Amino acid sequence: MAESENGSTGLPDLGDSIDALTFEQILEMDDDEEEREFSKSIVYGFFEQADKTFKEMDSALENNDLVTLSSRGHFLKGSSATLGLTKVKDSCEKIQHFGARKDENGNPTHYDDRKFLSLIRDTVKVVKADYKEVERVLKQFYRDPDAH
Amino acid sequence: MRFDDNMDRDQAVGGGAGANSSSDFVSPSSPDARPNGDWLTILKVRKLYKMLEDPSYSQVVRWGDDGRSFVVLENERFTKSILPKHFKHSNFASFVRQLNKYDFHKVRHNNEESGHSPYGSGAWEFKHPEFKANNKDSLDNIRRKAPAPRKPPQVIDEAVPTQQMDLVNTQLVATQQQLQQLQQRYEELNIHNSILTQELIGVQKTVVNHEHVMQNVMSFLHSVDARQRRDSKVGGPFANTEENTAPSANADPAQQQISPLEDEPASPLQNASKLLHEMNADVQLNYKNLEQMSEVHSRNGAISTPPPDGRHPRAPTPAGSSSLMGYAKLHGEQDAVVYPVGQTNGIDPMYSEHIHNIPYPMPSKDEIVDPRVSAPTGRKKSTQVDPGWVRPPQILLVEDDQTCRRIGSKFLYSFRCAIDSAFDGLEAVNKMNAGSKYDLVLMDIIMPNLDGVSACHLIRQFDHTPIVAMTSNIRSDDISMYFQHGMNDVLPKPFTRDGLLNMLEKHLGHLKQIPDGMEPMVQHPGTSIPQSSAGHSLKDESSPTESPSTISNWQSPGQFSGISPTQAAPHQYMHPMHSGFGQEQSPVQYQVPHTDMSAPRQMQHRRQISEIGSDYISNDPKRQRIYDQTNPMGMQPMARPR
Repeated sequence: MAESENGSTGLPDLGDSIDALTFEQILEMDDDEEEREFSKSIVYGFFEQADKTFKEMDSALENNDLVTLSSRGHFLKGSSATLGLTKVKDSCEKIQHFGARKDENGNPTHYDDRKFLSLIRDTVKVVKADYKEVERVLKQFYRDPDAH
Repeated sequence: MRFDDNMDRDQAVGGGAGANSSSDFVSPSSPDARPNGDWLTILKVRKLYKMLEDPSYSQVVRWGDDGRSFVVLENERFTKSILPKHFKHSNFASFVRQLNKYDFHKVRHNNEESGHSPYGSGAWEFKHPEFKANNKDSLDNIRRKAPAPRKPPQVIDEAVPTQQMDLVNTQLVATQQQLQQLQQRYEELNIHNSILTQELIGVQKTVVNHEHVMQNVMSFLHSVDARQRRDSKVGGPFANTEENTAPSANADPAQQQISPLEDEPASPLQNASKLLHEMNADVQLNYKNLEQMSEVHSRNGAISTPPPDGRHPRAPTPAGSSSLMGYAKLHGEQDAVVYPVGQTNGIDPMYSEHIHNIPYPMPSKDEIVDPRVSAPTGRKKSTQVDPGWVRPPQILLVEDDQTCRRIGSKFLYSFRCAIDSAFDGLEAVNKMNAGSKYDLVLMDIIMPNLDGVSACHLIRQFDHTPIVAMTSNIRSDDISMYFQHGMNDVLPKPFTRDGLLNMLEKHLGHLKQIPDGMEPMVQHPGTSIPQSSAGHSLKDESSPTESPSTISNWQSPGQFSGISPTQAAPHQYMHPMHSGFGQEQSPVQYQVPHTDMSAPRQMQHRRQISEIGSDYISNDPKRQRIYDQTNPMGMQPMARPR
């Protein structure tokens, strides 16, 4: 693939919501650059993880459960960061902070819980949209028939 | 003016005593002294007057607005800071009582329009017709209300009760103070006691773990013993050496002492087993008592550590490891779960004073980006980087997120490491507690059931394998906490492949093959510098992949086989003064200052002994580095090939 010429510009079609350098080092682990068995399984594993986590976030929102929201935000932050999904990671980090009753940068604040829940509700919308975008890009990359 | 301070104490006790000793107070510093005067009254009142003149007290005590009274504005400060200075006591009630004795009266404002004192609700205003600002002379007109009692003959009936009352009052005050002191002392002792209890539990746990290790070693030694005898019939000493290195992996000094000498193998082993068995039971017994004690403490709130909310580490503990369960239970309620799940950033920056002592530099952008930028050329050539291990390092990857775990495993695999993984801290602790040995542990911090810091804390009770925190929480107070609980390094998340490789090379330098022409100081790090992880370094000594360069540094085969490590070392520990070997002195010198280290140190000694010969001196600087390396804070490993 093109990346062998120039390490950082090999995958222009991934867009700016994915950190190319981080993602490439996973692609490099693929034994076969056509099949991309390893990275594909990682990415699709992440899709499942994300779907599940979003459901958990939704139900935690219904239960006003800030602690769970923070923990789920942290969880998805880790895997999205490892894949280089920058935007998703950033939003997840915010959810983690809001759930811990802090502002989006992690500084303690004194909103009441309803404010935090509403902030999280908004951020979850954002992260889902960001996620849809990277999912589309990645599915295209893996020539998934679902991609459009 | 100068006054004798003793007078006030006398007054507090009672007029009689003061009257008897009134001549003591006839001093040149009292110019107004009158032969028939009431000295105590004069001095006392003057003192009060002087106190009111001091402008620095005006916030606390001052003249009233009209100068005909004086006001104590802040009762507490007055009692604590001013009373002791001027009247040698700090008892406001006693002060008021004395004022009353001299016919001062508290001015009450209850019946006025406002109902409040003009000086504030907490103020005390006192008045005496002769006690006025700017009128010192009239002070002398102030008398005790009842001077009669101090004429003993006539009024002794009245005087005695007053004296007794004062006496009792004074005693009461003294008793109250004593009581307060006792209470403080009791609280201190209580805290000390709970600290000690916890310490003791920790120590006991360590002992129990040592017991387990020793038992494992014993059973292993039994098998080795059997094999050894069998082999010695077949193959002679040289054939034994490979296997002989293995049992000493976990060996404590004590263990080595009782490990078999070649000629009489079985009976020391049996004795040791018996001893171990007896000791173990006792320890378990005491441990339970302390556990109860400690729980009582935590119930009483004597221990101020907040309990973890929600996820209790006790619940998911498998029934199998009972000792671990006890431990997690204890500490779960107290301090082990330093990083509760779901409260990720709510952690208090404990030990923040250590921040500046962290040897770990905060990761800068450069550090993270640099390897990637420089990488592409070299990296693309082969994804299977071979860092040149003398054997595959055993890595334990502790990570609850499967994406991270899989990618991490894949990277590690590409670095030719052998990977084991654990889903959370609890599984990691169980694995290590069950005797799995690793060269390095990569530990996520925030995980369900048991977080990484707590897991590390537990593991450190019985093992010194390097543990690297893998986390995105890399604020300085986070990092200082990681180090505080025994972690050796931090790998910021999301980790990069190169970052991971750097970490491996940093902590596993002892497993790397050394190319020819290395600096002579580090002669054979691959073999002679096993790091803090116990056990596995053994394998590389006997590994067939051993590089020729290291072998060439060894002593002649004859000597090597003659001093087979397992037999040489225990023998020397047992009889340090025995003169069987030329290099006898070395283990003693090494041993003494480092008795706290367990297995890995022994390993080093043994290697030293077997290879040491004449260059004991030249090994010394290298040893220095080894200790630096095993020290959790000593981050710089020895020189390593890149």
